[in-house]
Amino acid sequence: MSTIMNIDPWGFLDDLLGVPNRTFQAMRARAAGRFPPVNVFLDDNAVLIDLQLPGKTAKDVSLTLEPQAVVIADKPAVEEGKEGAQPAWSRRLDLPFRVNADKANAKFTNGILRIELPKADKEGVKHIAIQ
Amino acid sequence: MNAEEKFVVPSTQFVENPEGYELKVSLPGIGKEDAELHVEGKTLVLKAHSKYQNPAGFRQVAAEFEHESYAMSADLPEMADISTMSAKLENGLLVVTIKKRPETQPKKIEIL
Repeated sequence: MSTIMNIDPWGFLDDLLGVPNRTFQAMRARAAGRFPPVNVFLDDNAVLIDLQLPGKTAKDVSLTLEPQAVVIADKPAVEEGKEGAQPAWSRRLDLPFRVNADKANAKFTNGILRIELPKADKEGVKHIAIQ
Repeated sequence: MNAEEKFVVPSTQFVENPEGYELKVSLPGIGKEDAELHVEGKTLVLKAHSKYQNPAGFRQVAAEFEHESYAMSADLPEMADISTMSAKLENGLLVVTIKKRPETQPKKIEIL
């Protein structure tokens, strides 16, 4: 089984090719060490992602689940009269398998966010008989 | 006690305002019961033992932090009034507030 996970150390290249504003925010975040560090754990049924986010709570972080990736980003505080503030950081982790979004859960404990993403059931898999 | 317990110096922020000082210490993974804070003379000493464990039965595929224990000490400013010190640890962030000694505060003198 291929279990190598792409934690995207060269993601800034994507940033460079993307929206300039975001680019420099992400790069600044990296340079300033504001990027939350992650630990990733795998077994055959799930992936667990831990992030160090001291002082943060559920309202400060946004999680977006794609079929085979998760995007974790800071949720900028909404200031009156200002809209569309860019997140100070965001991190996209590619996953080695499709996950079951309905069973995903995330919980903060003492400033560490643990995201648990169970592997999707095989229901979606279609076996095709070879004629 | 784990003889090989590794301590790291946590990242901190120290802010002075007109009334006093605020020290913020990042202690991810540390709960209230895991941290000890005391003052020795004019030195603030913090030790926090992490109980955090990697999940059992999983293999680690990315490791950007360890479940560290933290230790630090800081000399408090001369103007700090240690008797007013209070500390709060919430969501892995320790906030210590200390007022300045009243006699160090500027006094407003009424002009008659």
